[in-house]
Amino acid sequence: MREQIFNLMDNIMRLPSGTINENSVMEDIPEWDSLAHVLIIGELEEKLGIEIPLDEAVEITTVKEILDKAGV
Amino acid sequence: MKIAILSNVNVNGIVRLIQNSCDIYENEGYGNEIGMLLNEESSLCLFKPDIIFLIEDLQEITGHSLDKSVAFDNIEKWFAGIKSAIRKEIVYYISDSYAYGDELEVLTDSTVKDGLEHFWCEQLRKLILECPNVRMFPYRKLVEQIGAPLAFSKKMWYMGKILHSAQMQQLIADMILEKTALENRIPKKVLLLDLDNTLWGGLAGENDISPIELSEEHKGLAYKNLQRTILQMKNQGVILGIVSKNNYQDAMNIIDNHPHMVLHEDDFAIKKINWNTKTDNIVEIAKELNVGLDSMVFWDDNPTERELVGNLLPEVEVPEFPKKPELLADSMIQIWKKYFEQAVVTKEDSEKTEKYRANLKRDELLTSSVSFEDFLKGLEISLLRVDSFKNVERITQLINKTNQFNLTTQRHSQNEIQQMLEDDGYRIFAYRESDKFGDNGIISVVILNLKGEIPVIEEMVMSCRVMGKKIENAIIDDIEKTVKDMGYSALIGKFIQSAKNAPVKNLYTGLGYSEINDESQAKKYIINLNEKENRDYCLKMIFEEN
Repeated sequence: MREQIFNLMDNIMRLPSGTINENSVMEDIPEWDSLAHVLIIGELEEKLGIEIPLDEAVEITTVKEILDKAGV
Repeated sequence: MKIAILSNVNVNGIVRLIQNSCDIYENEGYGNEIGMLLNEESSLCLFKPDIIFLIEDLQEITGHSLDKSVAFDNIEKWFAGIKSAIRKEIVYYISDSYAYGDELEVLTDSTVKDGLEHFWCEQLRKLILECPNVRMFPYRKLVEQIGAPLAFSKKMWYMGKILHSAQMQQLIADMILEKTALENRIPKKVLLLDLDNTLWGGLAGENDISPIELSEEHKGLAYKNLQRTILQMKNQGVILGIVSKNNYQDAMNIIDNHPHMVLHEDDFAIKKINWNTKTDNIVEIAKELNVGLDSMVFWDDNPTERELVGNLLPEVEVPEFPKKPELLADSMIQIWKKYFEQAVVTKEDSEKTEKYRANLKRDELLTSSVSFEDFLKGLEISLLRVDSFKNVERITQLINKTNQFNLTTQRHSQNEIQQMLEDDGYRIFAYRESDKFGDNGIISVVILNLKGEIPVIEEMVMSCRVMGKKIENAIIDDIEKTVKDMGYSALIGKFIQSAKNAPVKNLYTGLGYSEINDESQAKKYIINLNEKENRDYCLKMIFEEN
């Protein structure tokens, strides 16, 4: 599941496969803008069934937090 | 081609999906479509888009009001704004409607939702009638394709006013690219169709034994639905033609009288139902309808016919044929989308068939500028007489496998062929054909019997792949000259009718031979070699060196 999350994020941000890992943070990745963020949260729910509550979703800034919320 | 996507909801995700495939405007926010369009200094206008897609959420337009007077008023205002902003040099695609909103889910009176959608579509239709550069974007169809629960995303809506799910964004992006491609391409004009196992199941000529499949159930319904699809294509401007190897009467009997035929005789602008090769028929159709070969699409269940047409007439599009009948209509829909769909359908389009039929009648009186001879010359055919001793296997195969162009249908084993080759009483001729598209290999064999006073063509076979290119004229000419050189002054040809060799029934009489009355089963024809006319063909004859 972790790999699927990384892949999904790479795809949305059009990054070379393998760019996103568990240590990636929003600050360091210019492609991770607000639009990409909404798309990531939306696709996590739509494609992987990972539901992150709305108010928590807007606070997220790191991949670690996503993995925590997803419980993986 | 530059495009822009405008909306009253956040469509930046869709823009991002398309960014790599075309030059697309990078949106600045959303909900100010009309302002952006009207302001000549806006980043949108400075970008100078060729096509603008307006993907609108109806509930955002109406302000979520379910009060008819308020909602209709807002819709009218939106259209008035758009109308004032439209420029002639830009093509606009505006979405039709699917009203989506939580309040609609608890609405008991469903006619209110329908009424809103209907009012929007009416306004859009009016605008399209007034402005030839405005088209409908099939938004509703995309929602219905996956269903509202999958097409919309609450999470993304609340987070960033992105209304559509990732899946729906992809569908919209694909449709935008499809429409953009459509604006760029020249559609095909003519769809040429085979009959047997194409417009119906089974064979027309055998319908007394096994009725053709065309009905309201099972496989027959698949063919009927295919015909319904084709009829609608014809109504939207596609010219239909028939290219079928059949007896004319057998085929027309079905077309005129079968109760489940959806397509009727006058739906076809032109019909070539005969035993000529399909390539010949297609070239004639191009001439008679006065359209280029590159305006035609040919659809036939027979892979050999498709390959033949594809190879000999590379300008003609030859799409694949589905293996299962349930995919017939789907394949035709793909053909429509790929080759024929136009951005707009005009009244002229729907009357095209009648026009072509009328032109055809006129043209029959005139001679066309491109002659069949010119076409044949363009093929650059060469015919090579090869050494029969070196090709016994292929000769045997042709003799035993050829059905249509086979004058006596006498089958011989490889052993028998070998014996005839070594017998001075026989001569076997073999011909190899090639044209500018490639080598067709050995395509014809003639067995000449020299035992009697006058030589007899015992057998002549030719591959149906090369029929209809006057190659037989060149071969007969070669035989006649060879026989004459040997000191004979006459030659006899034989014909024995079989179930399948009707196409060559009149070969000898067509070449000026006269029938000899004879009691035997075979018909015999004779020609005086000193008085024969020049043979008509367009190819280069070469003799293989031994």
